Amino acid sequence: MNPYILTILLFAMGLGTTITFASSHWLLAWMGLEINTLAILPLMCQSHHPRAVEATIKYFLTQATAAAMLLFASITNAWITGQWNLEFMSYSLPTTLVTVALALKIGLAPLHAWMPEVLQGLDLTTGLILSTWQKLAPFYLLLQINPSNTSLLLILGLASTLVGGWGGLNQNQLRKILAYSSIAHLGWMILVLQFFPSLTLLTLLMYFVMTFSLFISFKVNNSTTINSLSMSWSKAPIISSMVPFILLSLGGLPPLSGFMPKWLILQELTKQSLAPLATLAALSALLSLYFYLRISYAMTLTMSPNILLNALPWRLPSNQHTLPLAITTSLTICLLPLTPAIITLLTL
Amino acid sequence: MLKILIPSMFMLLTTWTSPFKQLWSTILMYSFLVATLSLTWLAMPTDTGWFYINNYMAYDPLSSPLLVLTCWLLPLMIIASQNHLAEEPENRQRTYISLLISLQIFLILAFSATEMIMFYVMFEATLIPTLIIITRWGNQMERLNAGTYFLFYTLAGSLPLLVALLIYHSSMGSLSYLSLTSLPLTCSNLYANKLWWMACLLAFLVKMPLYGVHLWLPKAHVEAPIAGSMVLAAVLLKLGGYGMMRIMIILDPLTKELSYPFIILALWGVIMTGSICLRQTDLKSLIAYSSVSHMGLVAAGILIQTPWGFTGALILMIAHGLTSSALFCLANTNYERTHSRTIILARGLQMVLPLMATWWFLASLANLALPPLPNLMGEIMIITSLFNWSFYTLILTGLGTLITASYSLYMFLLTQRGPIPHHLILLEPSHTREHLLLALHLLPLLLLIAKPELVWGWTA
Repeated sequence: MNPYILTILLFAMGLGTTITFASSHWLLAWMGLEINTLAILPLMCQSHHPRAVEATIKYFLTQATAAAMLLFASITNAWITGQWNLEFMSYSLPTTLVTVALALKIGLAPLHAWMPEVLQGLDLTTGLILSTWQKLAPFYLLLQINPSNTSLLLILGLASTLVGGWGGLNQNQLRKILAYSSIAHLGWMILVLQFFPSLTLLTLLMYFVMTFSLFISFKVNNSTTINSLSMSWSKAPIISSMVPFILLSLGGLPPLSGFMPKWLILQELTKQSLAPLATLAALSALLSLYFYLRISYAMTLTMSPNILLNALPWRLPSNQHTLPLAITTSLTICLLPLTPAIITLLTL
Repeated sequence: MLKILIPSMFMLLTTWTSPFKQLWSTILMYSFLVATLSLTWLAMPTDTGWFYINNYMAYDPLSSPLLVLTCWLLPLMIIASQNHLAEEPENRQRTYISLLISLQIFLILAFSATEMIMFYVMFEATLIPTLIIITRWGNQMERLNAGTYFLFYTLAGSLPLLVALLIYHSSMGSLSYLSLTSLPLTCSNLYANKLWWMACLLAFLVKMPLYGVHLWLPKAHVEAPIAGSMVLAAVLLKLGGYGMMRIMIILDPLTKELSYPFIILALWGVIMTGSICLRQTDLKSLIAYSSVSHMGLVAAGILIQTPWGFTGALILMIAHGLTSSALFCLANTNYERTHSRTIILARGLQMVLPLMATWWFLASLANLALPPLPNLMGEIMIITSLFNWSFYTLILTGLGTLITASYSLYMFLLTQRGPIPHHLILLEPSHTREHLLLALHLLPLLLLIAKPELVWGWTA
């Protein structure tokens, strides 16, 4: 893509999110979300492949619906309370409607159906932007509103962790797997939103780091299916040996850093006397772990110098910049001992 | 404590920076040094109480035998793995050794943890190197299934444990071992308390394993390479026993009624898995089921909550660790020669490898709990305390002992005695390395006859 166009689009995406961050008026927040959506659309269909265009259209329709619902809810709130401020939503109808609209925007179950299909149509980099940057603005809004109904967020969260686990089990396309992984992690974030919002932010940031590592690892191998990962040991052996750790970190296994958000969320939930919910959410993480483990089996744990699973690709010297991957992989693996420091940072 | 832990951590560095020709010798030397230093932990000037190293790591008479066993096992694993890794590329050999060393580090941290969450994190952390060892270096296709079963059985048991520990923490304020004795969760007869009790114990029961949830163990033990089998049998199962012993303190009033079905299940498991051993065709599978059988007895001993029960459980854990690991090494000597685990394909070995037959003999005798070995001491103490709890358990435990003796003898007779099969033409003579390995397993066992006080914990 033309670098000027790319710059404009990326700036516009940043602008949209920043406008939402800076806003205390609902109309401005909605405007930021819309700018964000519109800016990413050309990025999504830049390859002009029909599948990409289909993904773009699906994304546009769902995001537009969500934004319209958001606008409707804020207008209702303005009608009832007479003011447009983000924090002062005290009636249950607008609040619930906003929550559901934002759930559609980020892809929480049961409003998740667009996510795997949209991600499947995109290339890995745009998919990464979709999974990470696009979640920031809606989460900011979710953090601002006081939830009217305690159980709504819990239902959304638990359903997302379960759907994210079960949905990914039958996939062999990596982007769909990443979509379901995203849904599951978003579920964890929503579970604790009303009790300890800083933990939501922590989970979001940890998820960004882990999923960045995973997306970029897949991009380095230029692979989009599990089968094509099996030759990655010959292209990039060190990345192949690190990916199981990234995957297990996404699965929330101690002593990797992915355990930290899960642990803290479970702690918060048990403090709020929601222990059965905590157990259910923890066990649903096992479902996701199964398909992460399957990917790591294909990529690393079954490599053998004798078996050619595909034709050997040409091994040319690579110009890829892997420093961000190195940084995020280190963070994904080694951040757990810093938990006390991170908790202190959160509670400041 | 740190003089063991920090050198172990730096052995990781040594693995990657040693010149390749000296890799195995260097690592072996350092791990033996660490193991020898760890023997100082066995010297306990007082019988009870903790030896505080710092706020986060401590050891007491319960954890020090297990810590010494862990440190002792690393050089043994390295000796055992040397042969089958010899043809692998250099980096993979280094990776394998790094996995073994990191496993030891996690195990040291687990056994010396002073707080339950630290123990939990390290308990789970040991899963990852073991998973990688089993699935990457195992030899058959079934190893992937084995790794999955291993990981998911253990995790499904331990995630409720995490929630249970967090519940305890939120109501009692602390999970430090020091304060656990004075803070039992007050019991009201709510169903939720019983679920909490179950959640606390399930992880350890799966790890031990208890008979009903033992399915991961034969798969994992059989498919793992020799070092994986050794560490699984010798130490990782004991993590379950150790955790159970630690957590029993806070479970107190509920355990009197709730442990009933699990004791029965454990004892029934002793008989069932023992009987299955008599019908096994796969040598490693036989030893794996024998592990389930012995650990069933350990589980019953711990759930009884008497001093003799705990002592017997700890002694049996240590003795079984050494014995089971020795048996796996012996099975591996067969496997490296014939590349098959089928028992009947490698029989009558006393004719061919008479010195190895000595080790087979000693290990089989240890497995069937011959006096005066510590295996017997552990079993007798557990059986006695079970008899004290209820007379009828004697039927189950007595039958269990009989079946244990039968299959151990069966294994010995089938592999060593009798005519050599006609197809065994070319077997390498026993390596000195293998003799050393087995001597290092069985010598501590024989020495423990003289001073079992080292390993009998704080209750006797």
